[in-house]
Amino acid sequence: MSAATSEPPIKKQDDDAPPERRRDPHAWLALALPLTVAGLFLLGWDAAVRVSASEVFPRPLDVVRGIRELAEKGLLLKYIVASLFRVTWGFGLAVLIGVPFGLFLGWFGRAYQAFNPMIQIFRPISPIAWIPVAILWFGITDIAPIFLIFLASVFPITVSASAAVQNMQPVYLRAAQNFGLSRLDLFRRVILPSCLPQIITGLRIALGIAWLVVVAAEMIAVNSGLGYLIIDARNAGKRYDLVVAGMIMIGLIGLVLDLLVRRLATFDEVRWGYANRQ
Amino acid sequence: MSLRNTLLLFFAVWFVGISLLQARLNPESIRGLGDYLRSFRKTTGVSTDQFKIGFLPVTCHLTCPVTDFINTQTTGEGLFEPVRFNSWPELKEAYLAGHTPATFILAPMAIALREQGVKIKIVYLGHRDGSAVMVHKDSQIYRMEDLRGKRVAVPNRFSNQRLLFFRACRNAGMTIDEIQLVEMPPPDMPAALYSKSVDAICSGEPFMGQTELDGYGRVLWLTKDVWPNFISCVLAVREDVIETRRADVQALVDGIAKSGKWLDKSMENRMSAAQFVSKNYYMQDPRLLSHVLSKPPDRVKYTRLSPLKPDFEEIEALGVESGILQGTARFEDYVDPSFAETATNKVEAWNFAGPKP
Repeated sequence: MSAATSEPPIKKQDDDAPPERRRDPHAWLALALPLTVAGLFLLGWDAAVRVSASEVFPRPLDVVRGIRELAEKGLLLKYIVASLFRVTWGFGLAVLIGVPFGLFLGWFGRAYQAFNPMIQIFRPISPIAWIPVAILWFGITDIAPIFLIFLASVFPITVSASAAVQNMQPVYLRAAQNFGLSRLDLFRRVILPSCLPQIITGLRIALGIAWLVVVAAEMIAVNSGLGYLIIDARNAGKRYDLVVAGMIMIGLIGLVLDLLVRRLATFDEVRWGYANRQ
Repeated sequence: MSLRNTLLLFFAVWFVGISLLQARLNPESIRGLGDYLRSFRKTTGVSTDQFKIGFLPVTCHLTCPVTDFINTQTTGEGLFEPVRFNSWPELKEAYLAGHTPATFILAPMAIALREQGVKIKIVYLGHRDGSAVMVHKDSQIYRMEDLRGKRVAVPNRFSNQRLLFFRACRNAGMTIDEIQLVEMPPPDMPAALYSKSVDAICSGEPFMGQTELDGYGRVLWLTKDVWPNFISCVLAVREDVIETRRADVQALVDGIAKSGKWLDKSMENRMSAAQFVSKNYYMQDPRLLSHVLSKPPDRVKYTRLSPLKPDFEEIEALGVESGILQGTARFEDYVDPSFAETATNKVEAWNFAGPKP
């Protein structure tokens, strides 16, 4: 039970020395296994299209050619940047508002009682349902998709932050009170660090959701983005290779985003919160 | 580095970096944000901004991109700003919210909006004819009567294509209950017909022509066979805009009329339009537009686009019969024919030989 008993990182730990790592003789498997699964998936997809003799659904090579065509026209980078821009601002605003609000709700029980039902009402509403509202308020500008992405991610973030405070070990608080910490210090040095691991998990899930709704958010009249690419390709006659290309780019970028957020869990400030199963 | 410093640095670099890249690669996005913020400052006076006009990438709205392209090519700037949507609901919502003062829209939808109290005026038509009913080439459907008990996809309950089936059923001595109408976005129709999940599909072009080009669709009938001079989409403008910016609306209708005459003047013009519209506005394979604009040449027409009372009375009657209209709005309420009269009488086709190399 090292995770539960190790102290929260109240003071900065200086372990700049690189940790001694035992070389894992099977490290190559970490790359080889997922690549094998992906390869088998591609082969199965290709075989399925050939067996069904579909003239509509593209084969993997068609999709690769579609992606190359987009790259040559300069559209690939343009679309990726547009989608990332919207998700960055939508998700960024959701973090800025969701985390403090969630901590506030978690700490003040009455506020939680007051706001929680409203949050639970808003949380399950799909961003697609908000499209008319987004157009009404924000017109056909980029703010509309940013708003939709914000809505999709702010509620999970708020809920995970408030749950993190509510689930905090009471022993931390009692210890802090024994030390006579001021309210600000209590928040800064005890509450926030002890909640961080759970908040980061919440952010990871919310980022996945934010990226998930990019297709729905770009149904509004924007003319760039990976979601737009999918909707646009459906308008463009038999270009399902581009539809699948958009799906694959969204998937690959989602993978990279998840890897990035998971890196956060390797910092000492967060790592203590996870029980290590090796 | 500690978590906090890493995060602060990373996010600062990321936010600034992605925003700068966006400004460079998608400058219209940042311009749109600026327009939006400025819109709060406007307090009084008549707007002199360029018109934003909503349209969809279909042949019914072809005059919109054609007018914009020819204007931009000949004068260096557009008469208006065309805003491309991907589906009817978003196009309609942007119009209702006032972000597009003018829009191409389904005729029955415009009438229904008027009945619901929206200050909307039809000033011009988008086209005539230009829809088809397609069946799978392997199917045994050769006549309207063969559609008995079959599933037929139409774009929207407010689409004229749905009304078309009411009329076609009447012509064939059938009732509408004998066929099963389902609503489906036109871009999804070709795949639905290919997989035989529906027996027939009907929408504006080029989605019908696409099934022909790809070799699995067969024309059951074209609209001109069942409902000659069929209208599906119209150009509609907000009533307050008509009152305050008459000259701009007239210039818009004149431009659209010139494009219509230009498109119907020669097949070369149509083929040229197929190229530049596909590449710059619709992002489609130019073969699609070339096909539907030429095979046959009267598949869709862009002249005689003044809104006429008898045409709309027929739409009204079918709309009431099909349950989408109440019958409370009159032609005089929802149409302002004055712009079209001026445009039809004085306007000639564009003098435009094709895009600059």
